[in-house]
Amino acid sequence: MEANTTNVEIKTKEVIKSPSGFSVVGRELIKDKLALISLIFLIGITAFVYGTALFLDQDEIVRVDLFSIYEPPGEEFILGTDYGGRDVFGQLIIGTRNSLSIAILVTLMTGIIGILYGLISGYFGGHVDNIMMRILDFFLILPFTMIVIAFVAIVPKYGVWTFSLIMTAFLWMQIARLVRSKALAEKELDYIQAARTLGTTNFKIMFRHLLPNVSSIIIVTMTLNLAANIGLESGLSFLGFGFPESTPSLGTLLSYARNPQTLEYRWWIWVPASLMILLLMLAVNNVGTALRRAVDARQRRG
Amino acid sequence: MGFLKVEDLKVHFPIKGGLFGRTLDYVRAVDGVSFTLEKGKTYGLVGESGSGKSTTGRAIIGLNHVTSGKVYFEDKEITGETKAKSDFRKDIQMIFQDPYSSLNPKKRVIDLVAEPIRNFEKLTRKEERIRVQELLELVGLNPESILKYPHEFSGGQRQRIGIARAIALKPKLIIADEPVSALDVSVQAQVLNFMKEIQDELDLTYLFISHDLGVIKHMCDHIGIMYKGRYVEEGSAKEIFENPQHIYTKRLVAAIPDIDPRKREEMKQFRAEVNTEYEQSYNDYFNEEGLAYGLKPISDTHLVALPEKG
Repeated sequence: MEANTTNVEIKTKEVIKSPSGFSVVGRELIKDKLALISLIFLIGITAFVYGTALFLDQDEIVRVDLFSIYEPPGEEFILGTDYGGRDVFGQLIIGTRNSLSIAILVTLMTGIIGILYGLISGYFGGHVDNIMMRILDFFLILPFTMIVIAFVAIVPKYGVWTFSLIMTAFLWMQIARLVRSKALAEKELDYIQAARTLGTTNFKIMFRHLLPNVSSIIIVTMTLNLAANIGLESGLSFLGFGFPESTPSLGTLLSYARNPQTLEYRWWIWVPASLMILLLMLAVNNVGTALRRAVDARQRRG
Repeated sequence: MGFLKVEDLKVHFPIKGGLFGRTLDYVRAVDGVSFTLEKGKTYGLVGESGSGKSTTGRAIIGLNHVTSGKVYFEDKEITGETKAKSDFRKDIQMIFQDPYSSLNPKKRVIDLVAEPIRNFEKLTRKEERIRVQELLELVGLNPESILKYPHEFSGGQRQRIGIARAIALKPKLIIADEPVSALDVSVQAQVLNFMKEIQDELDLTYLFISHDLGVIKHMCDHIGIMYKGRYVEEGSAKEIFENPQHIYTKRLVAAIPDIDPRKREEMKQFRAEVNTEYEQSYNDYFNEEGLAYGLKPISDTHLVALPEKG
């Protein structure tokens, strides 16, 4: 018996595997050069920003220096300074890190809450589904922007985590509805029924059977959400309801452009941040659409 | 009492509609079905599409909500038991009709077949692998294919995986819901003969649900004929096929194809006769709503749905 099983083990390793999810995505990326460049750009910029931010001191950068107000880009300041004499390049690095962290945190947290909520609602169906969806509807009708503005007024000091949490509270609904609709359709299939006759618990059926079969759509949606969430923080900060100037983000840099003088004559303060937002969102979107095509066999290019 | 006893089983589905989704009426999918299974035998449930035969099977194992009636398994009531870890789950297993949708496409064969084992027994990885390989060998699949995905197999092979999964816990009763109707004919015979083989080997009892009378004749000891959620006739295979009493059964039996071409004309005429009889005496055998009457015994094992007047 012993020898027999080891023999089998050796043989099973030689079995040719069907194309896994990763290789399908890989082929799709190779066919879609734009998505591949986007992915490399994204990985590069993320590594650079998080790496450089380690060596930068946020307090040092946001300290007001009256002797170097509105310095144009030059040797001392690569991207010049703003009206407080603060280094724009340093703010850009820290700001990109903060904005990216928020986008990633919000995407992950909305993803986890949305998946749990949607799976439970869709799998159990009936009254459970009905009640959970009405609660979700309640969250949908809440005026998001107004509540965030009120939150900014109430909480005096807040950072990446608190901001992410408040955003998550209003953004998990979309993914919950998506997962629920997929779970509703998927749970009627025989393999879910079969799992029940085999004595598998509801919990296991939800996470071991349902989740893997709805995962592709979740990954795609979360990637595209990531692009949207980068813009979301910037938008709020631009309006003055995001981070204070002591916590630089892409949005705070952008909001300096509300000053007409800055907008017209001091491009170095807001153009780099705008470009960064544009490039990040485009890149994430490109990768997201490539992923979407990889998930749907009819749309694949590779 | 018997091995499996079903008493006056009713499964009704509500039809919702109107304002606020009121329940307007019910679809009486199964409307008062009773039968008993003997251990080690095969019981065939036959009927046309929508006659409630699959619903009966699914209600017994707890996949459909039972409106009323009782199901006893080895003298214990199991009606409407929804707990995942109930004792009877180990003893009653199901083979599904569609071998394509009944296997999770994202799981490997080893995980599919080992799922019931993991739910009820504590085995080490190695023991589990050996068990799965034994099971695969038993159902005639290559034991080396444990790391493959279901889509790498043909329909017949997938159904064998389904069977391997169903027999993994050495159950006493298997509910086979049209196990071969999705397979092509050459594979059907293979799977059926294989099911018969393991029946002797593992002392299994089958509740065999099918619309294919040829298959039923090949497999079953006892047969129940269903029509619109009710029984029209019940008896041993011999009684049903050689001495059908109800007009619906007669018509069904007459429809079994005969492979002898010399009898073609004869069979055609016979069928035409049965059909005219069916049309003429339809009102004698079914009530105003087109449903069958209650069952009346005409011998020890043979029951027929006949009206009161006889």
